[in-house]
Amino acid sequence: MRRLDIALGLVLAILAAAFPFLVNAYWLHVMIIGMMSAIMAASWALLAGYAGQFSFGHMAFVAIGGYTAALLATDAGLPLPLGMLAGVIASAVFGGIIGWTCLRMSGPYLAIFTMAFSEVLRIVIVTEVEVTGGAGGITVPQLFHAQTDFPYYYLILALLIVSVGGMMLVVASRWGLFFRAIRENEQAAAAAGVKVTRFRIIAFAIASSLAGLAGAFYAPYIGILTPDVASQDQMGLVVAMAIVGGMESLPGAVAGAIAVEFLVEALRSYGQWRLVLFGALLLFTMRFARNGLITPGWLRLRGLVGLGAARLAREAAD
Amino acid sequence: MNDASPLIEAAGLAKHFGGIFAVDHLDLAVREGELVGLIGPNGSGKTTTINLMTGHLRIDGGAVRVRGHSVGGLPASGFAGLGVGRTFQITQLFGRMSVLENMLVPGLARPRAHKAHVIREARRHLEFLGLAALENLAAKNLSGGQQKLLELGRALMLEPRILFLDEPFAGVNPYLRDEIIRFVQTLHAEGRTFVIVDHDLDAIQRLVHRLVVMSRGRKIADGPLAAVRENQDVIRAYSGA
Repeated sequence: MRRLDIALGLVLAILAAAFPFLVNAYWLHVMIIGMMSAIMAASWALLAGYAGQFSFGHMAFVAIGGYTAALLATDAGLPLPLGMLAGVIASAVFGGIIGWTCLRMSGPYLAIFTMAFSEVLRIVIVTEVEVTGGAGGITVPQLFHAQTDFPYYYLILALLIVSVGGMMLVVASRWGLFFRAIRENEQAAAAAGVKVTRFRIIAFAIASSLAGLAGAFYAPYIGILTPDVASQDQMGLVVAMAIVGGMESLPGAVAGAIAVEFLVEALRSYGQWRLVLFGALLLFTMRFARNGLITPGWLRLRGLVGLGAARLAREAAD
Repeated sequence: MNDASPLIEAAGLAKHFGGIFAVDHLDLAVREGELVGLIGPNGSGKTTTINLMTGHLRIDGGAVRVRGHSVGGLPASGFAGLGVGRTFQITQLFGRMSVLENMLVPGLARPRAHKAHVIREARRHLEFLGLAALENLAAKNLSGGQQKLLELGRALMLEPRILFLDEPFAGVNPYLRDEIIRFVQTLHAEGRTFVIVDHDLDAIQRLVHRLVVMSRGRKIADGPLAAVRENQDVIRAYSGA
C-alpha cells in the first residue's frame, strides 16, 4: 500500500510540474484558482473537520489577508511580498481573536457568530470607500511581470505544498490529537488535561492564517480585490469543496477543491443548472458519504490494487 | 506544598443554580491514601461537588484547595495538571478516536511527555484493565462496561494523586462491578486516593473506609462506615422522612 501511495505521489508531482506545459492559459488559470481554493478548503477542513469548530467566517480571513496585502502595497508602499506576509499575520491575529471570542460557543451559535462577523467585515469594506475602494474594489499591483501565469502557478503550487504539508504535520502531532479530542468532547478533553481554550484559539489562528495566505495570493494574482471575496456564496463553495473531498482528510479537501473548481468551469455552458447539480452532489455526499467522495474512493482503489497485487503474487508463487 | 495539608479540600464550598443551592457551604477534606465514599439521595449535590472540586463548574462561594493551595478559578485542565482526575456519571469518551488514542490524550497533555513512553504506559494500563486487545477499536464501539473501564484508564494516564469516580457502578453487570472494585482496590493499594460517588451501597461498603453523606447540598454525616450507618440524619434522608 505504501508503494501505491509513493507511486501516486510521484505521478502527481510529475503532473504538477508539467501541468502548465500541457494545458492552455484558461485551464492554467482554473488550476491556479483551484489550488488557491484548495488552501482555503483544507484550512477550513482543519478547523471544522479536525477541531470541530464550524466557522462560516473563513472567507473573512481571506479578505483580511488580501486587503492587508493590497493596502500595504498600494497605500503604504510596502513591497508586495512583505504586504502578503503581513496579510497572513493579520489573519492569524484576527483568527485568534475570533477564536477567543467564540470560546463558549459551538454548533449553530458558532456558525451564526462567524457568519455575522464575515458579513460585518464585508459591509465595512463596502462602506469604507476611501480606504478600500468600496464595492468597486481596489487595484493591486502584480507580483510578477511575466507573459504567462507560469510564475503564479509555481508559486501557488509551492504555497499549497507547504501549507498542506504543515497542516498534515500538525494533524499528526499531539496538537492534532488534542484538536480531535476537543472536537469529540470538550469536557472530557479538559478533564484529560487538554488546555481547551488554548487549542481552540490555536486551531482558529492556524486555519485563519492560511485563509489569509490564500487571500494575499489572490489579490495580486487577479489584480483587483472586491468585497465579494468575503461573500457567503464563496464560503458555501469552500464548504462544498471540503465536504465533497472529505472534511477529515486534508488531501481529500485539496482534491475536492480542485475537482469542484474544474467541474464548475467544465459545466459553465449549463449556466445556473450547474449550481443545481452541485447542490444535488452536496446533498448526496452529506446523506450517503459522510467522509466525502474522494477519500473513500481512494481507499477503495487502494483496496482493489492491494487485492490485485496479492492475486498476482499468488499466481507467481504457483 | 504542605504535606500536612489535605490532598484536596473544599471549604465552605457553595454553588447555586438560580435561587437553589446545589452545594450549600460544604466542608470536605480528603487526605492522601484515603478511599472515601460520597453518597446521598438523588439531587443531593454529589456530582455538583465533584464538578466544583475538579474545575468543571465555577464556584459561587468558598474555596477549593489542593495541598493547601487555593485553586479557585483554575480550569478543569489545570486541575488535571495538578493530578486531580475524574470519571463522569455518563461516560464521556472521544467516541470516534481509538481506544489507544483516548489513552494518549491525557498522557501527551502532560508537560514534557515523550510519545514512546506514553504509548508504553497506555498499553500497560490497557493490559491492566483487560482492554489491550481492543486498542485499535473506536471508543464508541466498546460496550458500556468497557467504556467505563476506558474512562478509568484515561484518568489513570494523568498519573493522578486523587481520582473522583462518579457512579462507576451504574448500569454495569455484577461481574464487571466486581472487576471495577478489584481495580480500585489494587490502585488504592498502590497509593492512589479515591472519592467514589455511587448509589450502589453494597459496592461502596465493600470498598470504602470513610463515608460522607450529602442531602440537599449539605454534608449530613462524615465518618467510619459503621457510625454513618447508625446516623439518624442519614436514615431520615434515605427514608425521605
